[in-house]
Amino acid sequence: MQPTLSNTEADTAADNLRRAAIDKSVKGPVLFLFTNGAFWLMLSTILGVLAAIKLVKPGFLGDCEFLAYGRLQPAHINTLVYGWGVQAALGVMLWLMARRSGQELKHGKSLLLIAGIFWNITITFGILAILGGKSTSIEWLEMPKFVWPVLLTCFLCYAWPIARMFGRAFRPEGFMVSTWYILGACFWFPWIFITANVALHCLPGLGALGAGIDAWYIHTFILLFFVPVGVGAAYYFIPKITGQPIASAQLASAGFWTLAILGGWTGMQKYMGGPLPAWMTSVGAATGVLLLIPVGLVGLNHHLTTLGKHSAVASSPTLRFIFFGALFYPVSGGILALNSAFWSGSALQFTQSWYAFQMVSVYGFFSMCAFGAIYYIVPRLSGCEWLSVRLIRNHFWFSVYGIGAIVVMSLVGGWQLGADLNNPEHWDQSFMNHVVNSRPYVVARAVAWALISFSNLMFLLHLLLMVVGLGRRSNAPTLLHREHDEHALPAHA
Amino acid sequence: MNFRTFILGLAASFGLPWLCLIVIPTVKYGQLTPVAYDKDRDGVEGIYPPAPVNAQGQLVYIREGCNQCHTQMIRPVQLGLDGWYKGWGQDQEAKPSVAVRPTELRDYLSEKYALLGVQRVGPDLANYGWRAPDAGTLHAHLYSPLSVRDWSTMPAYKHLYKLQKIQGPASERALKLPKKFAPPAGYEVVPTPEADRLVEYLSSLKRDYVIPGQASAVAAAPAASDKK
Repeated sequence: MQPTLSNTEADTAADNLRRAAIDKSVKGPVLFLFTNGAFWLMLSTILGVLAAIKLVKPGFLGDCEFLAYGRLQPAHINTLVYGWGVQAALGVMLWLMARRSGQELKHGKSLLLIAGIFWNITITFGILAILGGKSTSIEWLEMPKFVWPVLLTCFLCYAWPIARMFGRAFRPEGFMVSTWYILGACFWFPWIFITANVALHCLPGLGALGAGIDAWYIHTFILLFFVPVGVGAAYYFIPKITGQPIASAQLASAGFWTLAILGGWTGMQKYMGGPLPAWMTSVGAATGVLLLIPVGLVGLNHHLTTLGKHSAVASSPTLRFIFFGALFYPVSGGILALNSAFWSGSALQFTQSWYAFQMVSVYGFFSMCAFGAIYYIVPRLSGCEWLSVRLIRNHFWFSVYGIGAIVVMSLVGGWQLGADLNNPEHWDQSFMNHVVNSRPYVVARAVAWALISFSNLMFLLHLLLMVVGLGRRSNAPTLLHREHDEHALPAHA
Repeated sequence: MNFRTFILGLAASFGLPWLCLIVIPTVKYGQLTPVAYDKDRDGVEGIYPPAPVNAQGQLVYIREGCNQCHTQMIRPVQLGLDGWYKGWGQDQEAKPSVAVRPTELRDYLSEKYALLGVQRVGPDLANYGWRAPDAGTLHAHLYSPLSVRDWSTMPAYKHLYKLQKIQGPASERALKLPKKFAPPAGYEVVPTPEADRLVEYLSSLKRDYVIPGQASAVAAAPAASDKK
């Protein structure tokens, strides 16, 4: 999408050289982040399987203290969020910003690598600490206190060059919605992260308000970090691969600013009816529903941009992942609205449906977009093409079915538990009914995580082969040809 | 729109909720203090909330991640049936005459971080102290949940207990376990200090004290307040 003044071959060649130079400049840090992220993702999915099994059968693998559900589940979420999520996001952000702003990464490549190494070491200690019994029990911030300043510093090492690139290439008349989202993520994350950590780790104690701040942290983290990176990547790759411009600049701009305005208000509805002042949870619930507006605007825009080019979804791995990731965005918005609205939220409160929201946004939406981006970016950095169509296709289908199953099962299981909890017939009953009734859903969750685990094993192996340069030597990208793929979406064009 | 207005727009759009939801409430929370009861009005003396939680036991609760499955928050009746559940408040009857009151901000005043909970896989523990069995039974429950409820999916916290050889007379602190869960002959299971702290913490969880100036609910239901 670089603007070219004339289409002469010399210009194209110069353009290609410039792109290659940009790619080369970010190669080290980006591949480092992707590879390490993929390892964490692998671990997280395995922990997800274990945690789900432990929830049904606590004696599985013995009564080992390190593997009790109360420690395993936080480890599963933290590896997913900090190990995979943030690293994959930073990799996508760095590459995308460099390409989109046409800037090479000039200085500080080794600083980025060191920051990446420190990030991984710190997370390793943090996860071991959770399993070893040093958890703080603050959701999404379970890792011990010492972790957050290191993570913040490492993040800023990446955010700074990304913001610099944005600043240098900023033109008031130019409209660059993908870089807006990326810059937004760079800007919001440190703010949210510092706020939550200072409030919960440094201030003398906030009681129930602390729980509210934690719920706010989780939701702003998702809505103002994972969502912008996912949407930014979708806004970059959908036009790039379909070859059509973004359908509407106004829709894109409105979608961005409504998210920016609404995103910071939501989260505290997790404790609606609780000890927090009622206005705080109500504001959270209201914005939780209002967020359907930016979700709808972005969804509509992506739909209009892809319209007539759905055949590309069948052949391009990148577009296929991004397309399905983008489809999960409205789904996540819908689940958030269900959790937030008063009539459904009272039944879904404290049930698996909140887990469904976290997973559909972090895995279904964000990670699928990140996979799409990785399938595009890595061949350009490693100089070889993806080896196997089959591996990509398996990765895709197992991931889609897995996350789909998790979301459906958690939602239905959550609804069932919530309705049971509020059923007057259970007033004087023990929790036996709830425990027995939610069992099948948790078993399904374990199976679904196993599918995802399997898909990510293939992804990890494939990525490793690419990174060490054992990919296919070819000028043609690896496409999922339609004649081999009966499951592909019907082509509209 | 230039670069500065873009950044300003981002800062303003996020700064407003940040200020309203985090900064101002945090500052105001710092001014929240316990309130003294008025004997004439409330019928009780002392300070509300009465006692700080057992922080040592809470540390064990935190480190084991109990809040992943247990909430500590009673919702008002318009949102959920929490208030009517058997044993979830001071009144231990199957059909309490008044709903347990919803938890309030001051109920968690002594806690660094209120463990309101992630999911409600197990029962709510906000007022567990009222229904907690004697320490021995609670220890047996923590050591082996299946020995108390055969359908339980609670993990067994065996590492909080010590399996030791009986030397001389058996320890009077040894857990009384059903045969299936009992240690081999000649051995006994005794709680570690950590387990004792955890049990003290759980037994101290009582958050439905009368709120100063809101005694009307109690006055309307003398039956409930008579059963002590």
